[in-house]
Amino acid sequence: MSRNGPLALSFHALVVIFMLAPLVVVCLVAFTPENTLSLPTSGFSLRWFEAVFERADFLDAFHNSLILAFSSATLATLIAVPAALAITRLHFPGRDFLNALFLSPIIIPHLVLGVAMLRLFALMGVSGSFSWLILAHVVVITPYVLRLVLAAAVGMDRSAEQAAESLGAGRVSLFCRITLPMILPGVAGGWLLAFINSFDEVTLSIFVTSPATQTLPVRMYVYATESIDPMMAAVSALVIALTVVTMVVLDRVYGLDRVLVGKQ
Amino acid sequence: MAFLSLEGLTKRYADVAAVADTNLTIEKGEFVSLLGPSGCGKTTTLQMIAGFVDVTEGRIVLDGRDVTHAKPSSRGLGVVFQSYALFPHMTVADNVAFGLLMRKVAKSERDERVRKALSLVRLDAHAERYPRELSGGQRQRVALARALVITPPVLLLDEPLSNLDANLREEMQYEIRRIQREVGITTLMVTHDQSEALSISDRVVVMEAGRITQIDAPYRLYEHPRTRFISDFVGKANLVGGRAGSAGQQEVCKVGEGDFQLSLRPEKIRLTEVGQGLLDGEIRTRFFLGSQWLYRVETPLGELTVVRPNEGSLPLEDGTRVGLVWSTELLRPLEEDVRA
Repeated sequence: MSRNGPLALSFHALVVIFMLAPLVVVCLVAFTPENTLSLPTSGFSLRWFEAVFERADFLDAFHNSLILAFSSATLATLIAVPAALAITRLHFPGRDFLNALFLSPIIIPHLVLGVAMLRLFALMGVSGSFSWLILAHVVVITPYVLRLVLAAAVGMDRSAEQAAESLGAGRVSLFCRITLPMILPGVAGGWLLAFINSFDEVTLSIFVTSPATQTLPVRMYVYATESIDPMMAAVSALVIALTVVTMVVLDRVYGLDRVLVGKQ
Repeated sequence: MAFLSLEGLTKRYADVAAVADTNLTIEKGEFVSLLGPSGCGKTTTLQMIAGFVDVTEGRIVLDGRDVTHAKPSSRGLGVVFQSYALFPHMTVADNVAFGLLMRKVAKSERDERVRKALSLVRLDAHAERYPRELSGGQRQRVALARALVITPPVLLLDEPLSNLDANLREEMQYEIRRIQREVGITTLMVTHDQSEALSISDRVVVMEAGRITQIDAPYRLYEHPRTRFISDFVGKANLVGGRAGSAGQQEVCKVGEGDFQLSLRPEKIRLTEVGQGLLDGEIRTRFFLGSQWLYRVETPLGELTVVRPNEGSLPLEDGTRVGLVWSTELLRPLEEDVRA
C-alpha cells in the first residue's frame, strides 16, 4: 500500500478540520452557562441540556422524527429492494423509465416538492396527517436506498443463485437464504442512509408538517427563527451524540465497512 | 441404454442459433467433455441441461424422464460453476449442507453426509471457514463437495479449472478424475482447454459454431481428427496437401495444390541425415519445451513443425540441413471445415 506524501496528509487534515470544526464548536457552546451563543469561558454548565428536557415540544418533535425516519426508511427499503432486483435482472418495457422515475426525487429541489405536496395534501384533505408525512419522506429517500441496493445487486454473482436453484431451492428459500444475505450490505447501508436523510430533512417537512406532527429539525428551525439561545446548541449536541453512539454500536455489531462499503 | 440424452437440442436467440440440432448420449458413469472455442455453444448446452436456459427445440432425457422443461430445482443435478458460485455468507459446512437442507434431510444425517463429502474432497479441516478464507483450489473443492453431497444423477462442470493457475489446474484434473471414479458419477464437463479434455475424459465431444463436429475417445480424437479445425484445436498439427499419385499411391504436396488436406502431428516426424528422408529441409528456429525440442523446419512443402523428445544430447543448431521422415499411414486425411 502506498503511503500518502506530506502534502496529501496536510490536505486530508485540513478537510477533516473543515468538516469537524463547526460540530466541535456547537458541542462546546452547548455547555455554556451564558445566555448567548458563546464559547464557555466562565465554566461549564448543563443548564441548556436541562432546558431541552423540560421542553415537551422538543421531546415530542424528537419522538416524531424517530418514528418518521424509522418507518419511512423501512418502507423505502421495502420498495427499493424488489425494484432494484427487477431493474437489474428483468428486461421489460419501461425499465429505464422506471429507473429514472425512482431516482428523480433526488434531482427535484425539496422546496418544489414541498410546495407541490402541500397543495396536493390540502386538495386531498390530508394536511397534517402523519401517515402522509411518512409517504412524502418515502418519496425523497427511496432513491438513496435504491442506489445502494442497485449497486449491490449489479455486483452480485448470479451463478450463486443458479447454484442454489440446482441444489433445490424454491423462490422463497432462494430469496431469503441467498439473494437477500448477499445484497444485505447494500440494503442495510441504504436503510441507514435513508434513515439519516429522513431524520434531518427540513425543507420538505416544513411544508407538510402540522404542529402535531412537527419533526425535530422543523421544531429547531422554527425555534431558531424566533430566538437564538444556547438551547439550540444543546439539541444539536444531543443529536450529534446520538449519531455517534449509533455508528459505534453498528460498527461493533456489524462493521461499518460492511454496511457502507460492502466489504466482506 | 443412454443415461442422459440430448435429442435435436436447439437454442436460438432471435435468429441466431447458439446451439443447433445437437444429439448426444451419455452412458451411466461416463466422463464426457464438451470441448470447443469460446462462443461455440458448449456452455449454452450445459445450461440447457441444468435448466438455466430455456430450450428452443428438442428434448433432454435424463434416466428415462423428459426434463426438457423441468425447473432447475427439480432436476437434482450437481452443478459446478467457473466462478465456483459459493455462498459467501455461509461457512464451508453450510455451503455443502445447503442442498440437503433444501431436501429437508434430518440434522444428524445432514452433518454426517457433509462430513463425508468434505472428507472426499479432503477439506475436513476447513468446515468452519468462510469461502473468502480459502484458496482457489479449495473453493473449487467446496463447490465439488456441495454438488456431490446431494448424490445427483449427473454432475455438470462448467470450465471448472479455468480460474486456477497451471500447476494447480493439473492437480485438480487428477483430483476431479479420482473423485469421479470413486463416486462413479456420470459427468459432463465443459472446457476450452484441449489438454484438460484429453487427459480426464472417457469421451470428448468437439463443438464448433453451435454444432457437434466429432465425438471420440481422447486418443482416437487426437490421432484421427475429422476436420482441419479439430486437428489444429486438439494438439498441434502440420497441414499438407495430398493428391492421388501414380499407381494409386498418395502423394504429398503444398497445401492448396492438392485435392485434399492431410494432417501430420509434429511428434510423428523424425529427423535424419540430408538425403535419407522423404524430403530435405533447413531448421529455421528451435524452441526448448523442457521435455521436448520444437523445431520449425523450412521444406519444399512449406514450414513444418517437428517435435523431438529431449534425450539428453544437444539439439540441432539453427540453419542445419536435415532429412525428414514419417510413416505415410500417419498422414490423416481431413474433411472440409464445418461452416455455420
